[in-house]
Amino acid sequence: MSHCADICLALIFLSVLLGMAANRLMELVKIMAFQGTIVSILPVLLEAGQRDAAGLGFMAVMLTVKGLVMPLALYAAIKKVANLREVEPFVGYRASIFSALALVLAAGFIDRTLAPFMPPTHVMLMPASIATIGAGFFLMMARRKAITQVIGYLMLENGIYLTGIALAGETHSQRLLEFGVLLDLLAGVMIMGIIINRINQTFDDVDTGMLGSLRD
Amino acid sequence: MLKSTLIMLAAMAAAPVLAAITGRVKAWLAGRRGPDWTLNYATLAKLLRKTPVYSRSTTYVFRLGPLVGLATILAALAFLPIAGRPPIFSFAGDVVFVFYLLGLGRFFVVAAALDTASPFEGMGAAREALFGTLAEATVFMVLFLLQQTHGGMSLATYLAATTAGPGMNGAALVLAVIALFMILLTENSRVPVDDPTTHLELTMIHEVMILDHSGPDLAMIEMGGWLKLLFYATFIADIACPFRGGPGDYLLYILALLVIYGGIGLVESITARFRMSLVPKFILTSFALAFFALIFTMEMPG
Amino acid sequence: METFFLAISFIIAAGVLPFLFLRSSRLMRGSAVIMTAAGGLTGLLFAARAMTTATPPAATFLLPGGLRVLMQVDAVSAFFLLPIFLVAPVAALYSFHYTRAQGPRAAAGYLFFSLLTAAMAAVVCAADITGFIIAWELMSISSFFLVIHDFGKKESRRAGYIYLLFAQAGAMVIFATFALAYGKSGSLDFASFATMPAQARILVFVLAFIGFGSKAGIIPLHTWLPHAHPAAESHVSALMSGVMIKMGIYGMVRFYAILRPPGPGCAMLLILTGAVTGVLGVVLALGQHDLKRLLAYHSVENIGIIVLGLGIGMLGAATGHPLMALLGFAGGLLHVLNHALFKSLLFMGAGSVQRGAATLNIEQLGGLMKRMPLSGTCFLAGSLAICGLPPFNGFVSEFLVYSGGFQGVANSEAQMFTALAAVISLAVIGGLAVACFTKVVGVVFLGEPRSEKAKIAPPAGRCMQAAMVLLAVACLGIGLGAPWFIALARRAAGPLLATPTPMPAPLDTAAYAIALAAAGFLLLLAILAAGRGLLAHGRPAESATWGCGFSSPTPRMQYTGSSFAAEIVGFYRPFVIIRRDFSGIHGLFPPLSSFRSHTIDLVELGIRRWLARSVMALTGKIRWLQHGHIQLYIAYIFFAMLGLLLWLMV
Repeated sequence: MSHCADICLALIFLSVLLGMAANRLMELVKIMAFQGTIVSILPVLLEAGQRDAAGLGFMAVMLTVKGLVMPLALYAAIKKVANLREVEPFVGYRASIFSALALVLAAGFIDRTLAPFMPPTHVMLMPASIATIGAGFFLMMARRKAITQVIGYLMLENGIYLTGIALAGETHSQRLLEFGVLLDLLAGVMIMGIIINRINQTFDDVDTGMLGSLRD
Repeated sequence: MLKSTLIMLAAMAAAPVLAAITGRVKAWLAGRRGPDWTLNYATLAKLLRKTPVYSRSTTYVFRLGPLVGLATILAALAFLPIAGRPPIFSFAGDVVFVFYLLGLGRFFVVAAALDTASPFEGMGAAREALFGTLAEATVFMVLFLLQQTHGGMSLATYLAATTAGPGMNGAALVLAVIALFMILLTENSRVPVDDPTTHLELTMIHEVMILDHSGPDLAMIEMGGWLKLLFYATFIADIACPFRGGPGDYLLYILALLVIYGGIGLVESITARFRMSLVPKFILTSFALAFFALIFTMEMPG
Repeated sequence: METFFLAISFIIAAGVLPFLFLRSSRLMRGSAVIMTAAGGLTGLLFAARAMTTATPPAATFLLPGGLRVLMQVDAVSAFFLLPIFLVAPVAALYSFHYTRAQGPRAAAGYLFFSLLTAAMAAVVCAADITGFIIAWELMSISSFFLVIHDFGKKESRRAGYIYLLFAQAGAMVIFATFALAYGKSGSLDFASFATMPAQARILVFVLAFIGFGSKAGIIPLHTWLPHAHPAAESHVSALMSGVMIKMGIYGMVRFYAILRPPGPGCAMLLILTGAVTGVLGVVLALGQHDLKRLLAYHSVENIGIIVLGLGIGMLGAATGHPLMALLGFAGGLLHVLNHALFKSLLFMGAGSVQRGAATLNIEQLGGLMKRMPLSGTCFLAGSLAICGLPPFNGFVSEFLVYSGGFQGVANSEAQMFTALAAVISLAVIGGLAVACFTKVVGVVFLGEPRSEKAKIAPPAGRCMQAAMVLLAVACLGIGLGAPWFIALARRAAGPLLATPTPMPAPLDTAAYAIALAAAGFLLLLAILAAGRGLLAHGRPAESATWGCGFSSPTPRMQYTGSSFAAEIVGFYRPFVIIRRDFSGIHGLFPPLSSFRSHTIDLVELGIRRWLARSVMALTGKIRWLQHGHIQLYIAYIFFAMLGLLLWLMV
């Protein structure tokens, strides 16, 4: 089981890297679905994971939301709005990949410094979560379109979820927290979807760079 | 050593038919019947019978190109364990030798392309040179990783069946195998880096470099290409398969090759070729993956 | 030691004799070549003996004025004597036909050439501050005169000026190093520097690294190389690039051997500098159009590899990993010898191209392999060697450096990442070097000539060819005789190691194995070629290159060197800039338009933009001191003396 968890963590790193390097929006959505699936399955595979009915049920919910509903919503949003193919980076792809390398190194370093103050957990779980959070922020900062900010936000949420798994001694409170976050997110995504739709209708484009010219 | 040589010869003889697997998979996915299994052998025989044509612009470097290319890959294969069996030759540090030998092959293939004075071949040569430099970085990252997990500096210690030693953990293995597969696609000029089936000059790397080769020279290049594919596929199979030294290894090895060659066909069927400016990103991604694998082995020894 | 002085006398004689034969150009050049050869052979004999004796030969003598000069030749010094005494005679041989058309002026060239050679030998043997400084300055000055040999040209003077500036700025840092070391240890002898406290040793070493680095050409102190080498004559470039810049490396090695700065900090500094120097050096080389400038940047790259090797050695020594130390040092030192051989070969090849086609702009060359097959083949051999490809010598030394880097297993993370950086940068350098030299060989020697002059280029003179063949054979010889030369480098690395380290058995066999494998590869190639010959059916047909349907291709349509390199250089964009000037296409019937691109060295740009400008601004402020009245200057001198006297009294 621990072996499978290791592989899941490796796949999370893979998704972080691919996400930061992706140049097509559809590619990014697929990566999000992939990451959401892995992140949802992970808790069950950990040594300390709950593999009873409650745990599995929870996994099923997460899987539906993270692996299916959210990506489908994104998919629908992208389909709806024309001219949405390239992610249009502020930071170039090569620089993005090197940022990913730096991010992973930094995640390892942060994990090393935080380790003494943390409950013991699976190796590499903390770095994976930190890297995912970092990648989420990166996508929000370094990409131009509004939709990538939503995706970045989702990746950030995946990272927070992973941190939750790493920190949770008992799983009960964590789930409460997680559901809350999820609810927030769903609301957020919907609002974003509506706003993007509106922006698109008004300006024929969803480039946030252009929104800068709206300031007083 | 005799046994290793026999295995090697068998693998080399099978290289063309293995390459046909990829074509078959592609054909099957596209709803066609696909080429005959023996087509590649027939191609070789046909090319060997022909009289070559040389451009008046070329010098001896052009004729040396295919020769050196084939010689380097043959020499490189002699150091590679097949199905976990010890290779024909091995010494501490042969990893550097093998990959520098492949570099020598690249040097001559590129130089031969420039020798024709054709602008198209120059274009292909420039791309080959760029992607080669990037791929080399990933390869050495993987080799450094293998040095961390297995010690020693030879392909035999890295890849042959061992019962001792911690080996690589699963997570790092997954990342390293993906990285190597990407390098396989790059080095062998497959989709999404290059398209081996289009014969339109402007879009290609490998095919455009060999436009002017003909007859036995072209046969050597084709054979060299199949052997190079075999080299990287075997490299991946050796890393990924837990060989134990029993007779079952051969079955496992052949299975792994089937998966890899089939995988190439699958990738070629479902992805489009990248535009050239995105290829460096692709190779850099493989570099990053190999680096992640290194981090994993550091954090999780054993 | 007498043998050494005999060799030096021969070499000095090679500089003086030509002045006696000013009438006969043949006799003049011949005497210089023969005396240099005699000096080189004697010197090699001495170096070979000094490598093997247990007690290093030493000598002391007094200079007028009571200054004592101490000389000592240990294994390191003897090893650095090898490239000097190997390359100088071959370069002299090359010059016999190269300077044919110069007339009596060539004598001045030979004088400075021999002075430079003698000074380098003296630098390597000096064992105290006095001797070292004299030899070092003599080396810088004589090479300066060699750079401005063509002083009628503005570029030559400018190159000489830049070179002098860097040489003297570097010398100033070296003097500061000496001053600091003298102040702390109170002795002029190098050996006594070892007694300094650890902090001082680190400081002195870092200062020495900067000072000697400017001579060696580490980035960012490399900007003089691409100016000086194209300006100098080819055999001089060969000696300067092949040997003289190694004196900077010698300085680093010597100071490391004496000081042994504790801790891994210095090692990491070297590895980082080496990685940056190597990678950026080769990327900048890729962007050049001038063949000699390109080769000059390749010297920068190879200095990077050498510094990487030394850094790995120091890292091994600092972290208690004797094998890593041995491999790193031996690799770095062997690369010094190897680079001396193949780089001088390449510069000589460039010289042949220049003499033949009257240009060094690679965009106007092409197809020279047909005009000068022997020079072209030698250049090809040198290219393979500099790329570090087997079966040539460059591979042997890079192999050692790699082996050292791979030893950096996870003892500590910092060590591992440093070793990883070294290994990856080596791999990147190797790949880029292949790209760069396929460009040079492909554009200069292969394909079709791009200008009229390249079409009619005559082959190089016989002595020039002989020199190149000698060097090419030496490159292949070291590749195939790897075990002996590795043993040589190990002996040279002896004084750098804290404890004598034996090579472990697997690596000892590896030394033989790479030579055997290289030979085996050549055999395989021969067998394949023979088989290919047997398979041949009929006479191969001749035709034009397949023009992809275009019926009248011209040589100008070939891929140029710039277009070949553009994508690769573009990949390293933030660090290297390609500037493009395009006049554009205007109007319905556009007139002639032009496009030109060149690669900009950011460091040079930075020095010109920021450093030079701020220094000029600063000096502009004290400009009022300068009036041009001699009376005023006498007054300055008087008041300065007065002030000093007063300061001494108080």
